[in-house]
Amino acid sequence: MPIIEVSDLAKQYPLPDNKSEKFFAVNGVSLAIEAGEIFGILGPNGAGKTTTLEMMEGLNDIDGGTALIDGISVNDNPYKVKEVIGVQLQANEYFDNINLEELLSLFAALYNNNADPIALLKKVQLEEKAKAKPNNLSGGQKQRFSIACALVNEPKVLFLDEPTTGLDPQAKRNLWDLVRKLNKAGMTIVLTTHNMEEAEELCDRIAIMDKGKIIAEGTPQELILEYAPEPPEAPLHGDLEDVFLVLTGHELRE
Amino acid sequence: MLTALQRHLTSVFLKIFWRDRRSIFFSLFFPVIFMTVFSFANSGEQDPISVGIVNNSSSAVATDFADMLIANPLFDVTVGEEARLREELIAGDQTMVLVLPEDFDTNIGNTTSEINVVVDAAQVSQLGLIMPLLEQTLLSIEREFRDIEPMFSIAIEDVQARSQRYIDFLLPGLMAFTLMQLSIAGSGFNIVEYRRKGILKRLFVTPIEPRDFITAIVLARMAIVLVQLSVLIMFAVLLLDIRIVGNFFAYYLVVILGTIVFLCQGFCLGSLAKTQEAIGALGNIVIMPQIFLSGIFYPIESMPEWIQPVAHLLPLSFVSTGMREIANAGATLLEIYPSLIGIMVWFVISFVAATRLFLWKEVAN
Repeated sequence: MPIIEVSDLAKQYPLPDNKSEKFFAVNGVSLAIEAGEIFGILGPNGAGKTTTLEMMEGLNDIDGGTALIDGISVNDNPYKVKEVIGVQLQANEYFDNINLEELLSLFAALYNNNADPIALLKKVQLEEKAKAKPNNLSGGQKQRFSIACALVNEPKVLFLDEPTTGLDPQAKRNLWDLVRKLNKAGMTIVLTTHNMEEAEELCDRIAIMDKGKIIAEGTPQELILEYAPEPPEAPLHGDLEDVFLVLTGHELRE
Repeated sequence: MLTALQRHLTSVFLKIFWRDRRSIFFSLFFPVIFMTVFSFANSGEQDPISVGIVNNSSSAVATDFADMLIANPLFDVTVGEEARLREELIAGDQTMVLVLPEDFDTNIGNTTSEINVVVDAAQVSQLGLIMPLLEQTLLSIEREFRDIEPMFSIAIEDVQARSQRYIDFLLPGLMAFTLMQLSIAGSGFNIVEYRRKGILKRLFVTPIEPRDFITAIVLARMAIVLVQLSVLIMFAVLLLDIRIVGNFFAYYLVVILGTIVFLCQGFCLGSLAKTQEAIGALGNIVIMPQIFLSGIFYPIESMPEWIQPVAHLLPLSFVSTGMREIANAGATLLEIYPSLIGIMVWFVISFVAATRLFLWKEVAN
């Protein structure tokens, strides 16, 4: 049985230039994610990836459809769902003047448990930064710290929203290793990304979203076989980026 | 009563404030400077009036007269040459110069001896104050010489039995102002800042409930306000000798009620404003008129008639008036019931508005 079952999820927002008209930011998204998978959601800016995640996380009201995580309905029991998920958001700023160790014990208090901050920091290789303030961390360290915060409640499902955006190659690979390590330990991971290499390298399965809908879903290999252009059009080889561009077009987004 | 989570979050908010030394400094700096300036500039006692005496008479009477003026604490007397004293008068160092004529005593009992008073026109407003004192002094000299008792004597009795200085008036107002600033900053400005940084969103994906967050903010701010005000009160009482006549318990009760009202208003503002600029503007709309209209720096009664009814109804007016009546007049809680009712009405309005506006999902996003 899948650990995440999403069917027909929908979210409507008023149009930015015409408040009386509405548009679907997410329009009928259905997903079944198996326990132990690393599942990637790809899509151009504004495709509805983050909104889809936020509805699953209980951050955003679900306007239509249902979401079940570990058998708990997000629609009916958002607070119960929050207990079993860990979330890393795109914004990763925290309170000023509070160090990493103190922030982690705050998060532990939010879940009413007594997770050991130092053990969590070790998990993400930040133990010697225990007394540092988040503002003094590098981009990669910030992302790893965000993941440490998301691990406080030993979640069954970990949501990562563009975890490697803006990271240098070393930090990116380091983060991939961390994600693989967590996944090996049994955690289901759902991530969004713009990085095709990341999707191909890291994800067991991928869904490509555009204009609020899922337009393709499968393992990276399946998607390449099915959608990558034939050799004459892509003389060297077909990769996931070609798949992405064929499916979502070359037009610039935002 | 409090959950571990609420206690923990409260302590985190306190830590954040405690480690932000700059804002602690600024929240204390302004009231301290104000109190210090006003307590020295306006110590409640009139400066002695500088008077120069040119004694052209060698008589004992003239010397007596000069000595009586010197002995009078209201005057700061310089005896000297006419030319030099006139220069000092022009320079503004003397308020007036008295020229005692050569024949100051020769005509005693017969004709009137004329004392020449030289003043600077710019100082003439002081003349009305000084002349009666001079006449008084001359009269008592005259009585002495004629050996007659005065028909009347005036004894002044101060019914208030305490001095009402401007600084005493100012202190409760400054306290009320400080608690408003700290409260609105604590809920309103901080919420907008936490939202901008995505912290509220991050908290919202954990099982924390709005009431945990609100409880922690209210408790932490309450502690901050009470400590900051206590520091200011200690400064005022110990170093500036400002008196608080009334009951401290009653005084702090008004402080606590006022803090709750302004925290609720802060939650409203923080929910309405989505950006730092917006909260700045909204905050000013709420704070600015109250600074000038709530009787912080001068009594509401001294304002134009038409604005007084409005001024009296502002939340800060109720808080500062209540605190002032306790601090300056020793009023009991029962005696300040109009202020307490006003505060309670504002509490109900602000609380209802805050619960309507502060919606976790909308505020966090």
